[in-house]
Amino acid sequence: MAIAVRWTGMKTFVATETRVQLHEWLAIATGSLVQAALLVFVWVLNKDLLAPALIGALIYSVFLIGQRVLNEAAYIRIDHKLNELYHASPMTPESYFLGMSIGILIAYLPPIVILTLLLEIVRPLDLATLAALAATLLAVWASSSTLGYVISTLFKDMKTIWPYSSLLTNLFGIVPPVFYGIHFIDPALRSIVLVVPTSSAVALVEGVAGMESLTSGEYVLAGVSLAVEAVVLLSFGLYWARRTAREA
Amino acid sequence: MPAGVTQDALRAVDVRKTYHTRGAPAVDALRGVSLSLRKGERISLLGRNGAGKTTFLRIASTLLVPTSGTVEVFDLDAVHHPEQVRPLIAVVPQEGKPFFHLTPREQIYAYLRARGIDREAAKARTEQALDQMDIQEGADRLCITLSGGPKQRAMVATVIATEAPLLFLDEPTIGMDPFARRGVWDSLRRLTQKGSTILLTTHYLDEAEALSERLYVVEAGQVLVEGTAEAIKKQVGGTLKVSIANGTALIEELATFGEIVADGGTVNVVTAPERINEIMALTVSKGLAATVGPVTLEEAFLRIVGRSIDAE
Repeated sequence: MAIAVRWTGMKTFVATETRVQLHEWLAIATGSLVQAALLVFVWVLNKDLLAPALIGALIYSVFLIGQRVLNEAAYIRIDHKLNELYHASPMTPESYFLGMSIGILIAYLPPIVILTLLLEIVRPLDLATLAALAATLLAVWASSSTLGYVISTLFKDMKTIWPYSSLLTNLFGIVPPVFYGIHFIDPALRSIVLVVPTSSAVALVEGVAGMESLTSGEYVLAGVSLAVEAVVLLSFGLYWARRTAREA
Repeated sequence: MPAGVTQDALRAVDVRKTYHTRGAPAVDALRGVSLSLRKGERISLLGRNGAGKTTFLRIASTLLVPTSGTVEVFDLDAVHHPEQVRPLIAVVPQEGKPFFHLTPREQIYAYLRARGIDREAAKARTEQALDQMDIQEGADRLCITLSGGPKQRAMVATVIATEAPLLFLDEPTIGMDPFARRGVWDSLRRLTQKGSTILLTTHYLDEAEALSERLYVVEAGQVLVEGTAEAIKKQVGGTLKVSIANGTALIEELATFGEIVADGGTVNVVTAPERINEIMALTVSKGLAATVGPVTLEEAFLRIVGRSIDAE
């Protein structure tokens, strides 16, 4: 898929979106409540599971960026019509999509940084684990932002979108082994779990950190599927942004 | 002027748009609209709700793909190469709102920067637009705290500040008070003096008349009439309107002077200036009172669109 990505206006739109999001600091704070509550439960019930749960909370927090992108893209398109202001301008649709996704990521970094610091305190990570964590977080962000943006373009009413937002979060963030270890999953189902972006990311990081035991085949499956999904979805997101800049 | 280069900022030929919705009959939103705007012109599209104004404006501003027809913006193909056209245009969307969590100053500046305008020019144009739209007072308040009028002014200021060669404004003054509306009119006049071209839609006929050099009346996806406000007013059969209170008994006689519109007990006759004396003599002879005034654009609009509806 040949996509000539042009970046006109992206830097400014990243700054714009970050500024807009930071005004909603309460949403940023409350966006970490689920993770915080689950971490408290784990801490109370079994402190040994705190480190894996923190990795899960990190991946989950980044996955939630997709939900924010979904809500923001839908809101400023349906309620504000600002997409028209930007699409009928030299700023490219690709810059609009990526600028929004990066801007939201930046605004939601503080809780992610706090979770990373907590993880460092609970279980200091070596360089390999940190690198795996950074790479998987980036891949999860790419996949979830694209999913959020694409879904946001499919509906004409905010109320219709809300259930999909919730479905997306639970389907990818709660059901698969994100907050719990992959060793709880039946061996026959592990390969399915390892192609889901969130659980493959968690499995990879926990595997590299020595918290989970993965076979080399499982490492390959998780790594390749996560990378392929990120690249394919992001490419599709850029294509879709361009295509939906004009209504058919 | 070199061969092949026109003075048109926008040229649309036989633009059609049909919406297909699953389980519902197809809707022809545009049924062959052709129009052109010369560089530096201010043009208004008038029409009822659902007439096709916004559909046309969205097609011309590269936001909607037409079913058929051609649209050229400064000789560039807006249908097949929208990316070439977009740097030359700016749009105030219908019912658009600024970012609620930016101030008007931030909103305008950020948009100009996103369009690639350098910092100094963006700052200067932002201040100028805030002045022109008279929103300096609330310029540093978050837009969410502003009432509807200032929010709309912030949107218009955002687009005016671009000084784009071709501006599309879809009901730009909706929700504004009369002072603010006149502020917008002045800004738009200044922009066209600088060389920009403007296409706007509006339901305010006084605005269309005050602001536009030419008007297009659109109904059911087609252009019914095109021309200056004066020319359109003449199309209703006269330039003056005589209103006769309690004149219903005279309708048959009055009909010989021009088109009749009954409004309650009052009978309005649209006629030419040379017939006024005869009408006045008739009404006075019957002991009735009459007033004479110019035909307004609103009356002409109602008449033209009304005839079209009757014909359908």
